[in-house]
Order: sequence, then C-alpha cells, then structure tokens
Amino acid sequence: MHSLLPTLRSALAASLLALAPLPAAAQGVAPVVVEQGRVTPLSRAGALRTIAVDERLQRDAGLRLRDTVVLAATSAAERRAAPEDTVVVGAFVRRGADPAEIARGEYRVRLHLDQLQRLAGYDNRVDRFAVATRGDDATARALTAVNDAAFGFRAYRSTDVAVKTSRTFQVVRRFHRAIGVITVVASAAFLLCILLLKIDERRRDVAALRLMGISRRTVVSALVLEASMVALLGSAMGLGIGWAASRVVNAYYQGVYRTPLLFALVTPEVATFAVGLSLVLGVLAGLAAAVRLARTAPLELFGR
Amino acid sequence: MRLTLAAAALVRHRTRTLLAILGVAVSAALLLDMVMLAGGMRESFGDLLMVRGYQLRLAPKGTLPFDSEATIAGAAELVAALRARPDIAAVSPVLGGQLHVLAAGAGDAAGTAPPRAVTFALGIEPAVQGDYERTGGADVARADQVVANDAFLRAARAQVGDTIDVAAGFDPQLRAYAARRRVAIVGTARFFYMPAGQAAVALPLATLQGLRGPEGHDRVSLLMARVRDGADVEAVRAAIERTQPRVSAISTATALAQVEQRLSYFRQLAFVLGAISLVIGFLLVTTLVTVSVNERVGEIAVLRAIGVSRLHVVQQIVIEGAALSLTGAALGLALGLVTARYLNAILADFPGLPAAFEFFVFQPAAAWRALGLLVLSGIAAGVYPSWRAASLPIAGTLREEAVG
Repeated sequence: MHSLLPTLRSALAASLLALAPLPAAAQGVAPVVVEQGRVTPLSRAGALRTIAVDERLQRDAGLRLRDTVVLAATSAAERRAAPEDTVVVGAFVRRGADPAEIARGEYRVRLHLDQLQRLAGYDNRVDRFAVATRGDDATARALTAVNDAAFGFRAYRSTDVAVKTSRTFQVVRRFHRAIGVITVVASAAFLLCILLLKIDERRRDVAALRLMGISRRTVVSALVLEASMVALLGSAMGLGIGWAASRVVNAYYQGVYRTPLLFALVTPEVATFAVGLSLVLGVLAGLAAAVRLARTAPLELFGR
Repeated sequence: MRLTLAAAALVRHRTRTLLAILGVAVSAALLLDMVMLAGGMRESFGDLLMVRGYQLRLAPKGTLPFDSEATIAGAAELVAALRARPDIAAVSPVLGGQLHVLAAGAGDAAGTAPPRAVTFALGIEPAVQGDYERTGGADVARADQVVANDAFLRAARAQVGDTIDVAAGFDPQLRAYAARRRVAIVGTARFFYMPAGQAAVALPLATLQGLRGPEGHDRVSLLMARVRDGADVEAVRAAIERTQPRVSAISTATALAQVEQRLSYFRQLAFVLGAISLVIGFLLVTTLVTVSVNERVGEIAVLRAIGVSRLHVVQQIVIEGAALSLTGAALGLALGLVTARYLNAILADFPGLPAAFEFFVFQPAAAWRALGLLVLSGIAAGVYPSWRAASLPIAGTLREEAVG
C-alpha cells in the first residue's frame, strides 16, 4: 500500500511544476498545477465542484473564495492528451503544525478523490486507506488480519507512521540537545568565573567585618546569599531575554517556513533547569570563594 | 620581564585562570564547530556532486533527481541528442528502482516465497557511470552481472561470486514476481549517494530496463552530463532545458543553492551560535582582565613610580588576555574537533541523507580565521583596562592604595 504513493506521484509527472509558477500537492499526495493566472473566469452555469486551497497558495496566487481555477496534472507539452478540471475555490485551509512538512515548499489543494484519480489517470486506485478502529485491541486484531490476509499490502499503526515520519526532527532534537550541553558548560564556566570574581572583590569588606567581630559563619552566609541573589537575578533576566529571543525566533522561522509550528519554547522545565543550574552554580562558587576569604587573616585581606 | 609578570599574575589566581581558560575553550570549540557547520554542508555537498565531474543532472521535468519515481521516456534518443552536442563531454544515464532478491533456485518454483532482501538498484552504463566506486572484485561487464555494496551483501547474506535471482516487482493479485532474472555478484562498491545502511546494487541499464518491463522500457530516472572544458555550464544547462522540454536540468551551483535553502536553518544557527561564542569569549576575558587590573592598581602604580613605561604596563596586561585566549583557543581547537565528530554523527542519522555527506567539515583557513578572531578579541579585551590602569595618576593611586 505504501509503495503506491510514489506511483501516483510519478503518474502526475511533476514536470508540471515548472510549467506554471504554482506547484501544489493535492490532498497531501500528488503535485498538480493550479493555473489561476491563466484562466479566464468562467460562467458558473454548470455545477462546478469545489476545492480547498491552503493559505500559502491563497496568498501567493491572490486567490479568493469562489474564484474559478483550472487543475491540470501534466505539462503543457503533454496537455492535449491530459484531462483538465475547472473548479471553484470553496475553502481555504490552514496547515497544521506538522514538523514533517516544514522544509517542503509545495502548495496543497484538497479535492475529491475521484477528481484526483481522473486528473492523475489513476483509475480506481488510492495511495492508502485510513482505518478507524474501536480501541487498542481492535487495532491489533485489524493490523494482524490485514497483514496476514493481503500479501503485497501492509498496515501500520498511525503512531508508528508518525514516529517514522518525525525521524528528521528526532535528529534535530538530539542535535539541539548536544549543542545545549555545550552552551551550558560554557555558561557554567562563565558564571563560576564571574561569581568568584564578584566575591573576591569583597576582600576588604570581609576583612572589615571580621575585624569588627562578625563570625566567619555569618560572613560566609552573607556572601553565599549575595552570590545566590546575583545568580537568581541573572537567571531571571536570562529567562526574560530567552523568552524575547524565542518570540523573535518563532516569528522569523514561522515566516520563513510559513508554518504555525513553534520553533523555540521556554517551557517550565527549561526555566526550572536554567534557574536551578544558575542557583546551584552561584551557591557553589559563592561558598568556595567565601570560605577561602573567611579563612584568610583579615589583615592579609587588607594587604598588610 | 613582561611575560614573567603576566604569568605571575595568572598563576596568582589559579582557579579563576583555569575557569576562564575553560570558558574560552568551550566558546572556541563552539565557534569552531559552527564555522565548520556553516561552510561544511556546502563544501561536502559540492564535493559529493562533483565526485565524478558531472556538472549537470537532468531529471523528469519539475522534479529533483530521485525525488519521485517519475522517469524520462525515450531515453536512448535523448542520450544520443545530448552526446551529439559539442559542448558535452559525457552523458551517464541512470535508472533507479527496487529489486526483490530471491534465493537462486531455492525451491520456490512458483516464485511466491518472500524475498530474501529488497534492495535499491541502479541501472547504469559502466563506462560512464558516476554513482559508485568499486571497492573489490570486478566491475559490471555483462548483462547478468551486478556490483553490490556491503549493506546489500549483509542483507542478502551473499558474497562476491554468488549467483542470485532478482525480480523487479511482485503482483499481489497473482501472487507472483513480475520479472525474474539470475545475476552474478562480481564486485563490491561504495555508492556515493546512498544513505548509510541502504542496500544497493548496480547493474547494466538495459538489464534493469528489461526487468521493469514496459514501465522501464527505454526510460531513465536521471541523466548526468559532463560539460567540456571551456564551455559555460549555465549556458549548456539553459540550452538543454530549451531544447529538451521533458527534462529539468540542474547544475551543481543550482543544486547547491537549493540545498543551502533547505538547510538554511543550520547555517543561521551556526552564525548565531558562532557570534554568541565569540561574544562570550570576549566578555569572559574582558571581565577577568578588568577585575585583575582593578585589583592591581597599586602594583601598577608602583611599577610606574619606579620608571616602568606606560607601554610596558599595557603590554604586560595585554599579554595576560592574549595568554588566556590563546590557551583557551588551543584547547578549544581539540575540543571542537571532538565535538564536531559527535555532532556530525548525530546529524548523519538524517533519513535519506547520503552516507558520504558531512555537516561538519574542517576547512583550515576558516578555522584559523575564527580562532584568530577569538584570540584578537582576547587581546582587544585587555587593551582598554590596561591603558586606563597605566594612565592613573601615580602619586594619587599610591596614596589611596597605601591609606586604603
């Protein structure tokens, strides 16, 4: 069943894609051409069938509801022998946020199955069937029954198909995660360094406090608290910057790929991880530097 | 003297220096990786396309090579027409398709046993093929010979010298293989454009056309053309598209542009992360040097008071920044190469990507430029604080430091 998909594609001879500037895929399957720019508006005396057009095509071709367009599935050179279909734009369709389609620039139109079969010269054939079952047990039984009964056909669970088609994005996700680890290490080194310096700057204050009789414990606690506050404030600002950056990233890539998909998302888990990591690093760096300062003789801290 | 003083200043705060070097090293590694990523895809894909010197690919009109199962009819006439052109040096026709691999004569006379393996097959003309390089055995010389890759040999549990039966299709209604032919595996090959783990064989074009029956008769999936030296590739491409309306001609430059467009996300990511790493490296060194200078204003004032020149002081502090950046960059170079291999291994899992395609390619000139930029930024980071420190009034600073 799966192998029929490319057959239909080839039947539609994507040579049409170069014929007109508006290549499209019908019902997610076959590339056809919507020659809106060439069509003289027709009278609607006959009962023309309707199609649904995706928003990209609507915008790029300047289509409006009830526009009349011609669908054709072959190149101009082969046009004589090929059928055409004059249809009315009956609806516009918004694409779902499907990662598997992100890099595909083609347009989409939805039309009735028999229309596409006729255009593609594909007789009474389909690429695949979607079957709704009643529960998991029924799915398993239907899967086994189809696969046992029909050699040459294959049934898949929708979830398995989804996993297969989203493999690209699993790879991208792993790549992002790896890049994330590298940036976290770089940021951690940066943060530790800054906090060490920050505490180190307080040498004279610590010396003064110790000479006044403030206990080491109090001094260390105060410095650790200070480092934690710096880390917390820094991570709060970082979250703000990250949120703003994610908005920019989403706006940019949603425009580039023309999809409602979200590319960057500051989730509660991400925020908790970022704040938690900064806090832990802040406390550790503050503690290490504060203990060292508190153990040093006050006069030495003064440079005497 | 300057080097000694700079080294002493860095050693005085070991933890801080080590952390700064680590931070710069990770930033440098990320910068290097991003530079490798930004240029690597283009470089790698360009090399892949030009591996046999074919600058043009001709696919069925409106498609990309092997993007669909569409084929070009009347292939012989088209090949002859192309070969007759004075600006074309060689034309390589290719037909692609699936083959079922059956056990040779293994007692399934009815031909209904499940295949031993399913493989991608390329029908080629051996003398001009541009899809594989032979790694062992002999090349295809006769109609009943094939060369196969290692993935195929593993999947079909076969070896060079074996004879196997192959079929181009299975009719589910008749429950029989549509065409069947016995072939001998005569050699092994590495296929340039196959994904890792994809079983593949190459056999004579006419054999595969025959196996595919009417569907394959005089058809090809793709034609590759090598343009003669001195001829303008783009002009030849345009001329072919004009004279052959059934095909789309794609030059290497166009294909590269298309791939760049599809993978623009990675290039942009590389640019953004590369810039961030550079800024982080710069900020880290700047902060460290600034704090270090602020801590040592008294010491600097003493140096100035005993006659050490302002330039000398500036040089000493700049050397500190440069040392941090250089050490970090050197470590980052090693770290970057290791992480690039790891990241490349992750991205190599992209479905359908040729195994030979690399995302991260080390290009020495670009790498040195990037790391040089990082070191320069580290040097620049020390200039301002050092100049400011060296310009402080000596007496005032000494008094302030002494009195506290």
